[in-house]
Amino acid sequence: MANEKILIIDDDDDLVLAMRLPLEAAGYKVARAANGEEGLKKVKEVKPDLIILDVMMDSTTAGFQVSLALRSPDPTSEYKAYSKIPILMLTAIHSTTPLRFGPDQEYLPVDTFIEKPIEPAKLLDQVRKHLKS
Amino acid sequence: MLRPYLFAVVIMNSAALRDAAQSSSVPLEAELVSSMTWLITIRWLAGIGVLGATFVADTFFRVSLPALSLYLLGVIILVYNAAFHLIARRLMRKEPRAHHQSDFFTKTQIGCDWLAMTALIHFSGGLESPAIFYFFFHVVIASILLSMRATFLYAAMAALLISAIGIGEYAGALPHYFVLANASAALYRQPLFVLGTIFFFSSTMFVAAYLASTLNARLRKREAQVVTLSQNLLSAYTRLETVYESAEAVNSTLELTQVLDRLVQRTADALGVRACSIRLLDETGARLNVAAVYGLSDAYVKKGDLTLDQNPLAREVIAGKAIIVNDVATDTRLQYPQQALEEGIASMLSAPLHGKQGPLGLIRAYSVDAYHFTADDAEFVSAIARQGSIAIENALAYQALGKLDQMKSRFVMTVTHELRSPVSVVRSLLRTLLAGYVGELGETQREMLQRVQYRADFLQTLIDDLLDLAAGKADVSAKEEIVPVRLDEAVARVVERFTIPAQEKAIALEWECACADGPIKIAATNEGIDRVLNNLVSNAVKYTPHGGRVAVKLFARANRATLEVADSGIGIPEDALTHLFEEFYRAPNARAQVKEGTGLGLAITKDLIVRYGGHIGVQSQAGRGTTFTVTFPILIELPV
Repeated sequence: MANEKILIIDDDDDLVLAMRLPLEAAGYKVARAANGEEGLKKVKEVKPDLIILDVMMDSTTAGFQVSLALRSPDPTSEYKAYSKIPILMLTAIHSTTPLRFGPDQEYLPVDTFIEKPIEPAKLLDQVRKHLKS
Repeated sequence: MLRPYLFAVVIMNSAALRDAAQSSSVPLEAELVSSMTWLITIRWLAGIGVLGATFVADTFFRVSLPALSLYLLGVIILVYNAAFHLIARRLMRKEPRAHHQSDFFTKTQIGCDWLAMTALIHFSGGLESPAIFYFFFHVVIASILLSMRATFLYAAMAALLISAIGIGEYAGALPHYFVLANASAALYRQPLFVLGTIFFFSSTMFVAAYLASTLNARLRKREAQVVTLSQNLLSAYTRLETVYESAEAVNSTLELTQVLDRLVQRTADALGVRACSIRLLDETGARLNVAAVYGLSDAYVKKGDLTLDQNPLAREVIAGKAIIVNDVATDTRLQYPQQALEEGIASMLSAPLHGKQGPLGLIRAYSVDAYHFTADDAEFVSAIARQGSIAIENALAYQALGKLDQMKSRFVMTVTHELRSPVSVVRSLLRTLLAGYVGELGETQREMLQRVQYRADFLQTLIDDLLDLAAGKADVSAKEEIVPVRLDEAVARVVERFTIPAQEKAIALEWECACADGPIKIAATNEGIDRVLNNLVSNAVKYTPHGGRVAVKLFARANRATLEVADSGIGIPEDALTHLFEEFYRAPNARAQVKEGTGLGLAITKDLIVRYGGHIGVQSQAGRGTTFTVTFPILIELPV
């Protein structure tokens, strides 16, 4: 079965736990980073097959910055090798939040959103789908 | 018989007009010119009248009269009138018109007319001429037009004239002409007749002059009183109207700046002065800050705040007294007299603005003329200030309320943001747990965890609703973009969403759109409108019993889109209707029927509708059903 590596970049231990359990049960190897900076470091270290990225961490837009760094169109970018890794962004974006836009290669280069609270089945669905492609 | 009458009128009117000119406020020259012209016009008719009447009497009635003399008299009148006409035109061209010259000219005309009149009476029979009775009317008319003195003078002249003719003819100094009287009677030769006629004629003239002018003097006095009274009334009415208008204007809005702006402008207009300002006390109560200005320069306004300890005048006004500064140059109570003088202000009127809680500030009117303001003005501005104070206090209270509401909303938003995150983590963990990733769960364990999950989910809904509500009120800067929204499509989508839930309760969900004239567009946000419609339709379905009916209708009327959501549900008790849109309120029967519910849905719905310029109303009968009616202004897109 699946033996892919998944990197969760999220500062909330409990939420990480809620995701780690179903992912590990499904056979994935799960690594974790607690903020954006550590996340970028871990990407190089772990070389994950998929990244689950939270938006608000040490800053309110830390997640956006990570995704922008990874998907930078600059050919000399140090993350050039990792730009193809699928990114699943965790959101708790609510109807009143002013930030409301879909995944977009230029502005918000992520592959999909996963809404909080995490539904294990939905999470696994999305992970499988993005690992396949 | 017409002739003397005409002459008398001519003479009388010239005097009357001169008299009127001297006593009225109309410029004297203008009055004199008009009297001259009028006199000349009438005299043309008089001259022609003498000629015409002589011709008729002589030719058709064969009256024995000195026709030649009378014709000559008529011609003389016309000739001297022509001369007067030319002189009048020359005089009128002169600028400035010499007053004494015009006066002399008028007197000359009157003198000529007297002579012509004397001649006329003489040629028509002297004392025997029935024309002398016309003097009675002349005296009455004179009393109406002239002063009492002039009327008596006129009566005396008439008596003198008649006496002169009577005595002259009696003594043979003047020839006598029999016009109507019997020549054989020769009344003019009988002393008793002559003296009697003169006596009775003269006394009649004087008594008539006395009675008529006394009566007229009284009437004139009354007339003057009526004029003064009506002028006073008019001025009082105008001011009352201004007070009323300002009260209405300032009370029609709760926006403080609008209230104050209207107040200063109206006050300045009503007083007919250059400027008006309102200063309000700051929080410390020691300074008066400018709150509204009309008609003053920026430089003057920015000269500085009024501080009560340096400004005895402001202190007195704040203490509750309206004060007039008659001359800015000499008054020592002002804080900035130099700046006021440079601004061109010569006098001021200040009145206190005093609310229920105490002094609010002051209103001040500025005039470019010294000694402009009267005690009446002070009373008037005080009345306006009283009206204004109420409005200002209302506006201040409203402003404070708005600030409080915003503060509350911001607090709620922060708290809910903080609450949301842990609740969503709890829900995530619960889902992982319930999905069996932590090990198999026993039946009781699963059931209990499901209850926990149910409660946590409800908590999330509550927080989300609170956040929506708080965002609507607190959020001024980061508003979502308002776009044209197809209301007909949005309603159709929401109705579609509730088809299955309605079917499950066997509810007939009807949807009717009078959209034949094309799409109905309003200015809103798609999410907001979806929320509004979702709330209304879900409530209708939720509170309508099995087998009931929910009808959704959309139509456009008079530039407004109207949406009706009617159900045959439990209805809303009358005393609950007024609280329906309040936060956290749930009608008791709704609470009994459906346990969960935050009581925020309708508050949010209304909030959103108001934000899009719409209006929501409700009609309900307990047990019969409820109809919510929502209207929005229709968006009219201009062709590009």
